[in-house]
Order: sequence, then C-alpha cells, then structure tokens
Amino acid sequence: MRNPRTGWLLLSPTLIILIVFGFLPFLYVLFVGFHEWNIFAAQDGMRYNGLDNFRRLVFDVDFLNSVGLTAKFALFAIASEVVLGFFLAQMLTRNFPGKSLFRIIHTFPLMVAPIAVGAIWRLLVIPGFGPVPFLLDRWFDIEYLIGTYPDQALLTSVIMDVWHWTPFVTLTMLAGLSSIPKEPVEQAKVDGANRFQVFWYVTLPFLRPVLLTTIFIRIMDAIRTVDEVWMLAGGGPGTRFTGIYIWRVVFPRTDYGYGSSISIITLYLTIVLCWLLFIGISGQGKDEVE
Amino acid sequence: MKRIFTIVLLIAFALLANMSLVTADMHDWWADAAAPYAGATIRGVSESTPPSNYVADVLAAQFTELTGINVEFETTSWDQMYSKAINDMEANTGIYDFVYIEQDIIYSYLAQDYLVNLTQFAADNPDLAYEGYDESEFTSFADYFKNADGDLFGVPMEAFVKVYLYRKDLFENADIMAAFEEAYGYPLAPAESFDQYRDNAEFFTGYGESMDMDLWGTTVQGSTGHPASTYEFLESIGPSFGLYNWGINLDAGSAMSANGGALDGDTAVEALTFWLSMLEFAPPEATSSTWDEVASTFAAGRAAQGWVYGENAAWIATDESRSAVTGNVGVRLPVTADGVIDAAEMGDGYIGYYDGGAFGVPHSSRNKEATLLWLQFIGQQSVQAEWAAAGARITHTATFDDPLIAEQDAKVDGYYTLLEEQGPLFAGAPPFPFHAQVREVIDPFIQRAILGELSPSEALSQAAAAVDEELDRLGYGM
Repeated sequence: MRNPRTGWLLLSPTLIILIVFGFLPFLYVLFVGFHEWNIFAAQDGMRYNGLDNFRRLVFDVDFLNSVGLTAKFALFAIASEVVLGFFLAQMLTRNFPGKSLFRIIHTFPLMVAPIAVGAIWRLLVIPGFGPVPFLLDRWFDIEYLIGTYPDQALLTSVIMDVWHWTPFVTLTMLAGLSSIPKEPVEQAKVDGANRFQVFWYVTLPFLRPVLLTTIFIRIMDAIRTVDEVWMLAGGGPGTRFTGIYIWRVVFPRTDYGYGSSISIITLYLTIVLCWLLFIGISGQGKDEVE
Repeated sequence: MKRIFTIVLLIAFALLANMSLVTADMHDWWADAAAPYAGATIRGVSESTPPSNYVADVLAAQFTELTGINVEFETTSWDQMYSKAINDMEANTGIYDFVYIEQDIIYSYLAQDYLVNLTQFAADNPDLAYEGYDESEFTSFADYFKNADGDLFGVPMEAFVKVYLYRKDLFENADIMAAFEEAYGYPLAPAESFDQYRDNAEFFTGYGESMDMDLWGTTVQGSTGHPASTYEFLESIGPSFGLYNWGINLDAGSAMSANGGALDGDTAVEALTFWLSMLEFAPPEATSSTWDEVASTFAAGRAAQGWVYGENAAWIATDESRSAVTGNVGVRLPVTADGVIDAAEMGDGYIGYYDGGAFGVPHSSRNKEATLLWLQFIGQQSVQAEWAAAGARITHTATFDDPLIAEQDAKVDGYYTLLEEQGPLFAGAPPFPFHAQVREVIDPFIQRAILGELSPSEALSQAAAAVDEELDRLGYGM
C-alpha cells in the first residue's frame, strides 16, 4: 500500500525550493508593488501608496509602447520560429547526406548564452564596423543603422531571436512528429488525401500538444527577453521591450515599487495571453474531433 | 685625484645602499602590515576603462607580491558596474570590498551612507597607515570625495577632462588647408567657435566623400540606446553653451524655466539644436556610440575632430596597436560660446566635464583593513606616473612634474599641461543625490530628439516637465 507521507517526503525538496525561490519572492514583489520605494529618494524606506503604481503605469506612455513593441517582437519571432522549426523538423525526419552534421550545426546556437548571442550579433551589425551594414551598403545600397532606424533594430532583434531559438522549436517538433503513429497518416493517403490535407487533418491535430507547449515556452521567453537585445542595441529605438523597461526602472532608476508593479502586470498579461492561446487552440481542436 | 674618485665612489655606494635599505624597509612595511591578512582575497568592481585596466593588469599583481593579499578586480560595463555595486551595498551582502565611485554618483552614495570614512578609518588603525600615502598630495579633484569635514570617502584613481581632439595630419595638410580656405574664405584651424566647428565638420565630411575615404567631420556620442548621449549633451555640449547643472535648479526643485530651472530654456535649446545638427557630419556609428565607440571612431581615423574623454587621449595618440592616428592627435579646449570661459574663470560656470572616480570601501565589506592597505597602495605617489602615462589620468599634483609625464605630454599634444593649467575651467557633475534617477528620466527625450521624433524644443520642454515630476516623486521637488 502506498504511503502518502513518502510521496510528500520525496516532493518536499522541490516544494521547498519552489516556495523559497518562487512563491515567497513573488509575494515580496507583490508587497513592494503597493509601495513607493526608491532608495535614493529624500524619504527613507517604503511608503504604502495603494494602487498608485498601477494607476501610474496605465498612463505611462513608455511602458505602453514597450508592451506594444514586445507583442510585435513576440508575434514575428515566434511565428517565424514555428514555421521554420516545423519545416526543419519535417526535413530531419527524412534521410539526406550530411544529416548528422546539419543537426549538430543547426543545434549550435542553442548552446550559446543569450548575452554571447547579443554580443555576436552586435559585432555583426554595429554601424561603421560590422560586416552586415557594410555588405548591405556595398551590394544593395541599403543604409542599415540600428541606432537610427527603429524598424531595422526590431527586425534585427527578431532575426537574432529566430537564429537563437529555432533549433529549440525544431527539436520539440521533431519529437512531436516522431511520436505520430504511422497508421492514421497511411490511412489518410489511402483515402486520397493530398499532402496539405494530411498535414491539416492528421499531423497538426497530433502535433497540437507539442505545438501548444512550444508556443507557451517561447511566448514566456520572448516577453522576458532582456540580455540578448540589451547587448545588441541597449534598449534603443525598436528594442525598448518590456523586460528592458523593467530593468531600467528597477536598476538605474532604483524605483523598486513601480518596477514591481510593472513586473506583476507583465506576469498577469503573460498568463492571460497563454490562457487565451490555450483556449483558442485547444477549443479549435475539440471542435474538429467532434 | 685618486682620493676624490674614491670619495665619490664611496658616496655613490652609500647612496645606493641607503636606497636599497629604504626599498627593503618599504617592502618590509607592506609585508608586516599585511601579515594578518596575507592570503585573504579582496574583491572590487569598476568600469572597464584604461585606468581601471591598468589597476587590474599591473597594480593588483604588484600589491599581491608585496602583501600576499589577493585582489580580484572585475572590470565590466558601466551599467553593470553600477548595478552590481549598488545592489551589493544596498543589500549589505559584502561581495565587494571596494567599488568604483564615479564623481557624479558620490553624492547619492554619501546620502545613503554606503561608504566608509577612509580618513577616520586610517586614523583608527594607525598600524595600517602607510607613511608614503598622503591625502594632501591629491589634486583638488579629491575634494569631490570629501565630506564637509574634509574626510575622504574614496581614493581618487582617475581624473580627466573631456577635450576637443582633432587630426593634425588633416588640419596641417597644405592641400586641405588651401581647399578649406577657398571654400570658406578663412584659414582652416582647430575650432574656436561653434560656427567654425560646423564649417570644419561640413568640410571634412565632404572631403571624405570626395576622396572616397571613411572620414567624417565630427564625432557625436549619440547612442540612442545608452545614457551616453544624455551625458554628452548635459555635461559637455550644454556647459559649453552656458547651460549648467543640467538646467536643474536644486533650490527651486525644478528644471523648468518657469520655476527657475533652465533645461527647457533658450540656451539649452540652442545647445541641443547645434549638437543634433552635427549628426549630419558624424560617421554612421554615431547613433550607436557611447564614450568607448567615440574613442574607437577617432582612433580608427574616421573623424577629423570631436569631443573625446581624456582618459582615451594617451592611447589614441601613442598606441599603434590600437590607433591609426598615432602621432597626429591634436588636443585643445572644447569650443565654447562667448562669455563661457570668462564665467568659468570667475567661478560662475564651467566649460565642460571634469570626470573621474575613486575607489571607496562599502560598509558591507568584510575585509576593510586589507582593503585600506590596497587603497593606500594605489594612492601612493610612487605608482602614479606610469599609471598616468597609460591611462591619461592624474590624481596627484606632483605627477604633473614627473619626467615620464613630461615625455608623454609631448606625444599627446600637451594634454597633461592642459589638464593641469586649464582643468579648473571644467567641473564635475552637479551635487545631486538623485543623479541616475533623473538622468534616466531625461534619456528618452534626448534619444527621441536624436531620432528626429521630437524637435529640440519639444524634447527639452517634455524632459523638464518629466524631471519636475520625478523630483516631486523623490521628495526633492518644489
């Protein structure tokens, strides 16, 4: 007979770590979010200010712009990664010469720390010195200045993110594709389904849980992106994402109360977004099965 | 004759013996004083700059050899340095035994009582007081790190001014001089007025284009993703037009002209308009350039003139492994508007930024005694000259007269002489206990002006209003 105590005992290290390093800090951030607290203010210590911080962020143009920019970044980056990742995974399910080598090279960006990714891309695109602006100017007469043109900075951030994280999506998709049983696919082909119909009516429904999980992970990652982009453009035009905005408020500006309230709202928005996505994707799947 | 020769020889021998005894005594003192702490490791953090790198590469090893105390010195980016130091001191974690204190942040640190009073600490520990270290030997720059009683809270490790650098090989080229005079009707020369600066910038940009050279007319520290752009405007360009203390009236608690401030005033708008107009003549990297990139741009020979932090002057002028313009660097005072130099001489203003920093000991340090020894080691006169030659920084009055500096001065077109004689025309940052907080508020407006999203007038009026709001929030408002 199973002893529930043994279960709790085995779980306790994980629970303790989660409580100490996850739940308690969250409660503390929540607490600070309801206070005015800047260590360089004339008044010492924290002062309770109710919902003032939350009221302030509703009218904070810089914050609202950062949310819009982050949404744009997440949308373009994740959509590109999912599409590219799926095609690469499809490719890797087949045999072709040099497949093993391709797989290693393709996975390489995943092993690089985000700050190093940012540094690599900065060296590539820094105006005046980097090879990318030089070649774009020389070959296509394109003026490529990420410090001057916000759209170029955003596009570069998206491309950098796609370069870094597509291998992750490929690997999860590959796992998902490998787990699809052959029978339904063969049955569909026997019934005369074309390649698109097989993909849409067989592969995609089977792949949905993997797809959903991958998109969730990537959304959470994209929303909290800081180090890569900060290294690339320092949070300049086109890259003032929410994560960087929070960093600026909390660290250089030492506005801990306001920074905490923005962090909480960002967490809330992330949860809502994932929930809506979950409802959207899983609801659609349910209808189709029915 | 033989007797005289013998006497001279004996005297020389005695002097040599005495010197070696003094040196041995000095070694003994460090070893004895450090004996209780030998094997300990002290940790510090600083921005990666030429003077800091000299500390990490040279002085730390010398100190360890003398004392047996290890020095772990982290040189990192400016933002990270602040973030790490403030978090450590605020949380009282004691990770760092010494931290870099830039002149502009000292008021914030003192207001928060983060730092140990070094004068007092040395007086309380006479066994650790090295006789070769004397606070009175520092230049007046050390005053920025003292409290009202004259006690020192940081040992100055770098001090320099932001100067006007120009390419002598271009400005003294006969063909170029003739072309300039033909185009503008007066002789080519290092700029002494803003109109002349603009003409020079325009001319050299056109010259670079016509000769298919990677050459532009001026540097601009105009990063749109870094506070460096705000600093260049508020601390170099603004004062040269007569905009002081960031346009903030501390007594009135306001940056707005209507309330006694000047950030949105005519002088500020004129200064910003001029500076932004220089972007047209700056290399493409200007909008991504912090102080480091500006130095690199000038060293790469991509700008004919510019505002460059003096700490970079020495390596740009002399280090052939890093600079393409060695031997061709001219150094002058930055351009100023009429009356600004007179005001600075009268003590009513300043012409630019006297930058620098010190190493201080946080209260949270676990190795204060060992760190005090370290700070005295780097603060003694004997290590200053080579450090000054490497990092173009001078913190001791006597260093100006050192033969090594005299030699280096000639190579850097009199930069050290300028620092000594005209340094008092420059000033450190205003004594704000809210330095980084308010600068963070101003940054987005300057950056949007650089991008052309706001006009100079719009940017500054919105910045002034935002500063007032932040001052109110911090409790320093009207």
